[in-house]
Amino acid sequence: MRTLKLRLGILTIAILALTAMSCKDNKKEHNNEDGHHTEMVVDNENNSDMNHDNSDGHHEESSEKVDRNVETSTLKNAATTPIIDAYIQIKNGLVADSKENAAQGGEALLTAFTSFDMSKLSGEIHREYMEIYESAKEQAEHIVKSPIDHQREHFEVLSTDIIDLIALLGTEKTLYQDFCPMANRGKGAIWLSETKEIKNPYFGSKMMKCGEVQKQIN
Amino acid sequence: MKIGKKVAIILLVVFLGIQFVPTKRNQSDNISASDIMIVYKVPEQIENKIKVSCYDCHSNNTQYPWYNKIQPVAWFLEGHIKKAKEELNFSEFGDYSKRRQKNKLKSIINQIRDNEMPLSSYTFMHKDAVLSESEKSELENWISNLRDSL
Repeated sequence: MRTLKLRLGILTIAILALTAMSCKDNKKEHNNEDGHHTEMVVDNENNSDMNHDNSDGHHEESSEKVDRNVETSTLKNAATTPIIDAYIQIKNGLVADSKENAAQGGEALLTAFTSFDMSKLSGEIHREYMEIYESAKEQAEHIVKSPIDHQREHFEVLSTDIIDLIALLGTEKTLYQDFCPMANRGKGAIWLSETKEIKNPYFGSKMMKCGEVQKQIN
Repeated sequence: MKIGKKVAIILLVVFLGIQFVPTKRNQSDNISASDIMIVYKVPEQIENKIKVSCYDCHSNNTQYPWYNKIQPVAWFLEGHIKKAKEELNFSEFGDYSKRRQKNKLKSIINQIRDNEMPLSSYTFMHKDAVLSESEKSELENWISNLRDSL
C-alpha cells in the first residue's frame, strides 16, 4: 500500500510537470502581448515625428526619386502573378490590421507556389528560385499560424523574397516598392504595393502613412 | 473508494507500462561539419552561451535531464525537440542557404530580444540557460555582425 502511494506520488509529479510545461504556450502569448504593447507606445511617439518629417518638403524629393527609378527593364512575366497577388493579399491584411486576412493570404501564397510551374527554370535561375521559394514558404507558413506582430516580422522577410523573385523572373504587374524607416525595429523595411498611395503594412492604422515610394516596377 | 483504487491501479499499470517504450534520443557522437560553431568562427564565450541556452533543443545533441528517463515526459521532450529542430538546427546551420541563414539569424535576435527564447518552461528547469541583459546584447551584437557579413 505504501509503495502504491509512492508510485501515485511519482505519477502526480510527472503529470504536474507536464501541465507546467504545457503552460508555455499561454505564457508565450502573454509575453507577446506585453511586447506588443510597449512597441505600440513607442510607435505612437514616433508617429508624430514621422508625419512631421514627411510634410517637411521630404515629399518632393521622394516623388522625384520615383520618376528616376521606374524600372523599364523588368521582364514581363505573367507566371508570377498568382504569387504576387497572394503576397498583396497578405500585405492588405496587415494594412487592415487583420490577422485573419493576412493568414488567408498566407494560405493563398502557399497554393500559388505549389501550382507555380518551375519546369521552365534551369541551372542558376532554378537554384535561386528554390532558395527564394524555400524561404518564402517558411515565411508564409508562419504567417498562417502566428499572431499579427509575428506575421509582420515574417512579412518583412517575405517582402525581400518576393522582390528578389521579381528581379529573377519578372512580372507584368505595375508595383511600387515602398520603404518605411520605422519598421523592423527602427532599421527600416521595404514592401511592395499595387497602389501608389502609401498604406503601411508594418504598422497598419497606427502609422498608416509612414513610408515613401522607393521605386516603381513597370 | 473501491473504484478509486481500481483507477489508481490501472493508471499505475499504464504508467509502468509506458516506461518500457523505447524513445529515440537526440544524441550523436560526432559534431556535424555543418555545425554553426564549425562553419563560422565563434568566440568562446558566445559559443558557450549558445550551447548552454539553445543546443538542448536546437541541435542534434541534447544534454538530457534526469526526468527525461520518465515517460511521458520523454515523449513530450522528443516532440518538442523535433519541432524546435525543424525551426532551427544549429548542427545543420551550414547546410542552410545563405538566405535562410540570414533569416534565421534575424529571427534569433528578435526572439531573444522579445524574451521568447529560451522558453520560460526551459529556463525554469535550466537556470544556467537564462540570458542576462548584458548577455542578450552581446549575443545580439555578435549575431547581427555575422548576419551582415553573410
